[in-house]
Amino acid sequence: MIIQVKEVSKHFGGLKAVNGVSFDVNENEIVGIIGPNGAGKTTLFNLISGSLPVTSGQVVFNNEDITSQKPYVICKKGIGRTYQIVKPFGNISVLENAMVGAFNKASSTKEAREYSLEILKKVGLDKKKDQIGKSLTIADKKRLEVAKALATQPTLLLLDEVMAGLNPSEVKEILPMIKGLRESGITIILIEHIMEVVMNVCDRIVVVHHGEKIAEGTPKEITNNPEVIKAYLGEELSFA
Amino acid sequence: MMQLLSKQKFLFLFGILLVVTPFVVTNRFYLNIFILILLYATIAGSWNILGGYGGQLSLGHAIFFGIGAYTSTLLYLNFGVSPWLGFIIAAVISIVVGILIGWPAFRLRGTYFTLTTIAFAEVIRHLTLYFRDVTKGAIGVNIRFEPSFANLIFREYSAYYFVVLVLFVISIAIAIWVDKTKVGYYLKAIREDEDGAETLGIHVTKYKMIAMVISAGMTGIAGVFYAQYMLFFEPISVFNMNFSIEIALIAIIGGVGTVFGPVLGAFIIIPLNELLRSSFPSLSGMNYLIYGVVLILIVSFLPNGLLPILKSIPKKLKGLNKKNIKVEDGEKVDYSG
Repeated sequence: MIIQVKEVSKHFGGLKAVNGVSFDVNENEIVGIIGPNGAGKTTLFNLISGSLPVTSGQVVFNNEDITSQKPYVICKKGIGRTYQIVKPFGNISVLENAMVGAFNKASSTKEAREYSLEILKKVGLDKKKDQIGKSLTIADKKRLEVAKALATQPTLLLLDEVMAGLNPSEVKEILPMIKGLRESGITIILIEHIMEVVMNVCDRIVVVHHGEKIAEGTPKEITNNPEVIKAYLGEELSFA
Repeated sequence: MMQLLSKQKFLFLFGILLVVTPFVVTNRFYLNIFILILLYATIAGSWNILGGYGGQLSLGHAIFFGIGAYTSTLLYLNFGVSPWLGFIIAAVISIVVGILIGWPAFRLRGTYFTLTTIAFAEVIRHLTLYFRDVTKGAIGVNIRFEPSFANLIFREYSAYYFVVLVLFVISIAIAIWVDKTKVGYYLKAIREDEDGAETLGIHVTKYKMIAMVISAGMTGIAGVFYAQYMLFFEPISVFNMNFSIEIALIAIIGGVGTVFGPVLGAFIIIPLNELLRSSFPSLSGMNYLIYGVVLILIVSFLPNGLLPILKSIPKKLKGLNKKNIKVEDGEKVDYSG
């Protein structure tokens, strides 16, 4: 088990954004987190990556308690993440963007540059390496998010809706990339709304609703789970 | 490759020109301008590490400048400590003050950080006025003209010129180091997006502090030189908010977050400033009017400053010569300095 999320909660005043969610991820697995809008998926990511401190609960990564550590500490330990609302460094080049990530492990500028070029090739941004971050299209900005996170050389990658806002052909381009990442030995947790992606790529799915985990299982189990259907489509109406 | 070569040639030529300047320019008025250009280029370059690369817009850098001037001068006048040693002590004290200011101020972002730096500068100015037993208050500090190498007081302007040239070269060397290493990349990332930077493994506060230490230390050293060059200063002249704004403007006009932007800025603003002041002696404030106009134009039309324009000239000339102007693939930047 690479990561164990144990009963984590995040309360903002009276709002229970995440409430007692637990799940484990095994090494080299791809786990999807799905749920309706506002279910608390991104908050859950923020708790794992340290962007927000937890209200209660525990996050264990490689048998080490990393609960509520600072994001840069967690990144150093090997967890990379992307943001749903992309955060490119707008006024520096794509290559420099990736290099910032690469310095997490690289010891020299040369090493960081070489590794970044490799990563940019992997995500298909090598031809745009000299463009500045803010000039990219949304699809390319999402690629850049992935490139930056990958450049930190994570063993666990958290992908927050990297495919939202992309058209179907762009999604088809990114899918093999994600599968490729797993082949290179990276464990992935992804939040995604596009069911085609989730069903295709994920080994297991965790369903979150109103901040609570309502189901967990293989894609097939999830599609037949009544709780999940209820959350997405509502309850069957029955009037007496 | 051609461009790289011409850039190196240009810098080599520029270096030689800087060395021969005091032998060619013997007029004190003009040599004074050159000394001020190098001094302000050094200070703006130091500001640029924190304000340009790190994006922490400090308008309180006069603090370090003033602390540098007061530290070395008070040590010199009261204890006879050589200003050469004063350089080091001033740098250390500026760095300590910088860290003390950075500790609370770096928790604030954007405008709030800027306001905090202004507030600290004003507080320190008032403290200098208040503790007049130590600082001589509003009367200011006068250094007796006793020229000697140990006193860092010279009869010849050319000697001052070479001292400031060394400071300038050190500041450029530091800027190049920052630009080429992890520190510069991290600072730029922090400037662009702090949260994004932190998730990429960057200890944001630590790197802001590194920038502060470099920036404060170099500015303090420049303050020592200023004191020994002017031989007189008062709280209002060294802890002046206009000064803080001026050095920020030099960097912004030249090009923030680049090695040579502040240098270019100093070469434009300082001569302009001095010439305007001497051309319109009765119109005090004329230089600020021109500043204002220049700043508005730069910020509106050239938000990256003048350096990128200067850099694009050889490329354009080359393109015209070959008569094939390549359509560029989107917007490009070159921060390599």
